[in-house]
Amino acid sequence: MAEKNNFAMICIAILGLVTVAFGLADILVSAVGDGTGLSILEIPGDMFRGGWGGFIVLFAGLFYLSGCKNVAEVHNASKVAMGSVLIWIMAGTDIFAMITESIPGGEDGPWFNSLSGFLGTYAPPYAPAIFLLPFSLVVVYYILKQERTK
Amino acid sequence: MKLSPDERWNLIDSIADQVVTYGKYRHTLKDAIGELTVKPMTGIPIAIAVLYGFWSVFGSFAGTLCTDGFFVKLFDGYWLPWLQVVFPGEGSWLYSILIDAGGMTNGEFILSDNCFEAFGVLTSGLFVAIGVVLPAIVIFYLMLTLLEDIGYMPRLAVLIDTVLHRIGLHGYAIVPTILSLGCNVPAVTATRILETRKQRFIMMTLLAIFIPCGAQLGIMEEVIPDLIGYVLLYLVIGYFIFGFILNKIVPGRSPEILIDVPPYQKPMMANVRRKLWMRVSSFFKVAVPFVLLGCVVVNVLYLAGFIQWLGDILAPVFVGWFGVPKETAGPLVAAFLRKDLAVAQLSVIEMTQYQMLSAVVLVSIYFPCVATFAMMLKEGWKELIGSVAVLAVVVFLYGGIIHLIGKLIGVA
Repeated sequence: MAEKNNFAMICIAILGLVTVAFGLADILVSAVGDGTGLSILEIPGDMFRGGWGGFIVLFAGLFYLSGCKNVAEVHNASKVAMGSVLIWIMAGTDIFAMITESIPGGEDGPWFNSLSGFLGTYAPPYAPAIFLLPFSLVVVYYILKQERTK
Repeated sequence: MKLSPDERWNLIDSIADQVVTYGKYRHTLKDAIGELTVKPMTGIPIAIAVLYGFWSVFGSFAGTLCTDGFFVKLFDGYWLPWLQVVFPGEGSWLYSILIDAGGMTNGEFILSDNCFEAFGVLTSGLFVAIGVVLPAIVIFYLMLTLLEDIGYMPRLAVLIDTVLHRIGLHGYAIVPTILSLGCNVPAVTATRILETRKQRFIMMTLLAIFIPCGAQLGIMEEVIPDLIGYVLLYLVIGYFIFGFILNKIVPGRSPEILIDVPPYQKPMMANVRRKLWMRVSSFFKVAVPFVLLGCVVVNVLYLAGFIQWLGDILAPVFVGWFGVPKETAGPLVAAFLRKDLAVAQLSVIEMTQYQMLSAVVLVSIYFPCVATFAMMLKEGWKELIGSVAVLAVVVFLYGGIIHLIGKLIGVA
């Protein structure tokens, strides 16, 4: 059991560090003003997604780090779960924005988007929160499983 | 049947034995998450994230999907050109009021190319009401209802209690404040949850001056998306500064509150549907007539030359003190009927970015729309007169300060 907890602690700590790094990158890039892309990763440069959003990603990372030490304890587990909720808010709004962009056909186009245009909207690059989303889901799955076994 | 005290207690015990289950209390994950949302250190970042989600979904749904995606195309590409052709009497008074006020170039009447410029009742009026305001209001109230039913709003009230005490209010003032972001009218009614006259007066005055309604936010998102953050920043700063001053000068008490914070729960869809329908339908009963009436009144005032005359008279104040073009007199008159309509009007006036920012802030803090005005009158004429007096001072001072800030940073 202790070994399992140690493994969970290390995984959540790494996730926390990566999340903090992404949050800081978001804030720094938006402070400079130009968005930047690294292949499939896009760091938004605007004050809304980069600045405000970066602040939220940063706090998600801090929640992970502050709760990772003994995740079996309910208060620490809640901090880790809250870190995941913040990631879901960021990733969820990014995905929702993609959905809303993919449906209409554009200013001079038809009413609805073509199939290729529709699918093209979902192509990379993605914001950091979308990459963090699957990991945050695994973390919450682990916490909920632990809560049920108590 | 009369029971002695002992018999009464025995009866209570026997009922309690039947209905109460005893067990050991265990602090659950849900409880711990609930605590995180009310502690300032963790609750503030969460509140900031919730606001981000709220605003992002609002912009994506109302702006990107509904208004830009479909309604602009429908109204500008089909509805406006069709009405311009089929409606007789181009250039006449009736045509200008109902379809297109247009413009004169070298003595020739020029038709508008979009519904923001046409300003007819059946074109701009319907576009603003249905194409811009409807999606904004629907998504705003949907998210607000979800937050209420999940159980986040009481936690937000606890979290913000200390801050709101600085301006003479308490945590529950967050309810009228957030409701006001949808529409000021139900928000004025919601001020009744505050205990004292002082609190109700401060809340009513602040929401009438500093909180833009959902319709106005929708229009701002559409016509000045780059400036909306700055406009809101000016309004938030004004809300707290003038709230602080009002708390110092208005006599009366500002008592503490005890809030029962319910556990987080899954929202019931039937409740959400009912609340959403009730709020959206009542908003539309109030808003749509005023948008359409606003178009008629403003067009008549324009055609009669009143707006031009008013602009000339107020030019020294507008240009010298507020630093905005004198043409903004028209939108300020329209703002009394509908503020969203006024922001739409501002978007077609030529001015610098900072002037646009100042003008939109002025429209926001200027007189509450007539529907809110009527609602405030229902709450008490003394309060209304007091609010209007505060408002006049605030508009003059704050408008001048914004101009001064622009001058100091070299953008005005």
